Amino acid sequence: MSEERALIEELLGEASRLADEAEVFIISGESLSLVQKGESCETAEASCTWGMGIRVIRQGRIGASSTGDPKRWKDCLIAALESSRLSSPQNWGGLPSPIHIEPRAETADPAFILSPLTAARLLREVGKGVARHRSRIAEASVELEESTVTLANTHGLEYTAPHTAATVSCETIVENSTAFEFDQSVHLDLDAARVGEKASFLAEYSLNAVEIPTGNYDVVLSPIAASHLLGGVLVGALSGKNVHAGRSALASLMGKECMSPLLDIYDDPFAKGMGSTDWDAEGVPTKRLDFVCDGVLGAFAYDLRTAYRYGEESTGSAVRAGHAVAPVIGVHNLVFDGERSDVKEERALYVHDVVGAHTANPLSGDLSVELSKAFWIEDGESGTPVRSGMLVGNVFDLLKSVEGLGKESRVVGNAILPELRLSSQRIIGI
Amino acid sequence: MAEPRYYDIRQVRGSVTQIDIDNGIVERGDSSFFDETILRALGDRGWGIFCADAFDPDSAGARRDALEKAFSLAGYTGEHLELAPAEHGMLDVPAMKEDPGDVHLDEKISLLASLEKAARIDGIVNTRASYIERTEHVRIISSEGLDSEYRMTRCGFTISAVARRNGLIQMGRESRHSILGFNLRHQEELGLKAAERAVALLDAREAKGGRTRVILDPELAGVFAHEAVGHASEGDLVKEGNSVLAGRIGERIGVKELTIVDDPSQKEFGFEPMDAEGSRVKRTEIISRGRVNAYLHSRETAAAVGGGDIGHARGMPGEPPLVRMSNTFVEKGDSNLDEILEACGEGILLKGSRGGQVDPGRGFFQFNAEYGFAIEKGEMGCLLRDVSLSGEILRTLHQIVLIGKDLELHQGYCGKGGQTVPVSDGSPHLLLEDAFVGGKGAD
Repeated sequence: MSEERALIEELLGEASRLADEAEVFIISGESLSLVQKGESCETAEASCTWGMGIRVIRQGRIGASSTGDPKRWKDCLIAALESSRLSSPQNWGGLPSPIHIEPRAETADPAFILSPLTAARLLREVGKGVARHRSRIAEASVELEESTVTLANTHGLEYTAPHTAATVSCETIVENSTAFEFDQSVHLDLDAARVGEKASFLAEYSLNAVEIPTGNYDVVLSPIAASHLLGGVLVGALSGKNVHAGRSALASLMGKECMSPLLDIYDDPFAKGMGSTDWDAEGVPTKRLDFVCDGVLGAFAYDLRTAYRYGEESTGSAVRAGHAVAPVIGVHNLVFDGERSDVKEERALYVHDVVGAHTANPLSGDLSVELSKAFWIEDGESGTPVRSGMLVGNVFDLLKSVEGLGKESRVVGNAILPELRLSSQRIIGI
Repeated sequence: MAEPRYYDIRQVRGSVTQIDIDNGIVERGDSSFFDETILRALGDRGWGIFCADAFDPDSAGARRDALEKAFSLAGYTGEHLELAPAEHGMLDVPAMKEDPGDVHLDEKISLLASLEKAARIDGIVNTRASYIERTEHVRIISSEGLDSEYRMTRCGFTISAVARRNGLIQMGRESRHSILGFNLRHQEELGLKAAERAVALLDAREAKGGRTRVILDPELAGVFAHEAVGHASEGDLVKEGNSVLAGRIGERIGVKELTIVDDPSQKEFGFEPMDAEGSRVKRTEIISRGRVNAYLHSRETAAAVGGGDIGHARGMPGEPPLVRMSNTFVEKGDSNLDEILEACGEGILLKGSRGGQVDPGRGFFQFNAEYGFAIEKGEMGCLLRDVSLSGEILRTLHQIVLIGKDLELHQGYCGKGGQTVPVSDGSPHLLLEDAFVGGKGAD
């Protein structure tokens, strides 16, 4: 028996004597990263991590703790028991029992190689891509990660999944024009040269930009800008916990058309994305969750705690941002979908990214952000770059004004989305 | 066998306690443990780094293995890095008035619950209060003979209240964080303040976007100093050529009353007894009497760039040190608020902060106020919501025309390179000519 199996067995055995139920979450892994600033690589870093989160439930009271040291599992269990004494009791229908789950989600690449040589090759490719234009690298990095996630509970559930991830990012500069691009995949199939080339092109392209007069313009958001602007506020508003707690702007809109009829938004845990998984952070089997169909709001996301409390069903939406953070309601792969079209056919302001997306009002969705790498689209082509300006609006209004979805989707963090064309957005310029 | 030119080990062990009370429900009240170590070895060219959980730096075997791993990784680097010599030395951690470790978790929960309850007034649909307490034992060992350690606790709370009426939703929020001990007693009035603001914001007008004269309150002006000036003065960005302040030492960029400081030695929320490389910390005047004066440095960026002070390297547990701000503020001037309002005449007073962001290479920043007031004929008028400010760093610094004398610091957290560190930012009230304000309101 492996050391980890023995630890899990001993811990759950002890926990079942002291609590009604218990759950242990272990993540262990290795990562490797190379960071280049300027001409060549400055830093090569490896890490070897291990962490464990415990939850115990006693009479509807949930307690939690975590540690990075397997030898401290008893302290951690005692802290979790103490924590359960202090939390408010609630309706609780139990942690899940094990079932057979047919693996569908691709979480790891079996051929993944965590080697400095691989990372160095990817970094060189970024550099080659950058060299195709005038910009130079301000900072470029490659990170490779391999980990194993294990979830076990006192009902005999024990699931394990391997995870791999490769991330390439590149920040470029030419004169006082900067740009950032990245790519992320479960596989080592990243086109690192393309990341470098795009970042280099964007910085150079934005030189000699012109001002934009204040006005209302059709806007095309890149997948990056769309994800940064919409993701955080929208995921918060779709959380069943926020809906019941009075914190969601979407709370009273179930069954209503509250977004563009062109838009479908769903969580697809089996899509090719960075959040793919067959079971959620509490061991509930995941499934596709249709939040919005043809602009009509159809579902909110629930974990076990919120579902039991409000008489709903878990949607398999519990996520953990690591062993030290208890499960919360989230999304695995948030997909923006719908009929695709050529969103750049007609004149519009293309916005590659924005500065300050996280300062949007998290509840009302009101925002005003500075444009970054914006340019006019004229006759279907990239035209004059725009120097500065502010996009002002509201996340939920932006979702109503979607007029088209671009042909290709890309992965941006936990979102998978295309370019979005929005009608008549307020831009404050000169 | 070849040996590293230098190595250091930084171990951070400790515990974190968190409480979350949401609409009267105690969602969590728990403690967790961490023990993270990072070892850096400087090879012939660059850094090799090895990080691990539950690593024992006193085990000769473990240390040798980690050092070998880090040194061999350094072989994959190409950039030749030098370290500037640094003065070691550690400041005393200020004594806490009341050690939060001595307060039982039950009592913390009951105090937080009382704060949360104070925010439940008419018109409020949700109240939420959270508390965080983090104790870190930091030990830094280096090949230069350093072996220093300290223990420090940071704690604080946030209360937020949500008001809703006819489909409109608004939030008020207050938070206080400290290194000087337990701060959760007798805070009910902050709960009430957050709630009253949330309700008032339901009737607030939307700010009209465009160019206008603005006054920044001490909290938001502090965020301005942090975003617009602080980040651009970080030695790593200057070294990359990714800062509009690069190459501008000595250049005038603002009025002669303008001095902007970063000071990790001040006993504020961003205080560090020594920096993450074990270097002595001290006050750095980034802008001194209107001129660019100094950059913030680690030993590596000081060697590469010069023109500034070492002692500004900070890192999260288990993460490599980066050049970071700590306590960043605009020094006080000589105007009082009435004079600033009068000089403003017509404009907007922006208050509170929802955070900000900067692109230091391009020299653009953005930040969002929690609320604001229209200023008409030199007096504060109606309440405004969702008002933001963006602009060019260099242009905006020249637009600061009056500086108040009411310097205040506020606590927060700053993100860079995936790492979040505690900071404080502050300023007196500032008057800016011709600022670029975002808001949805029309004429």
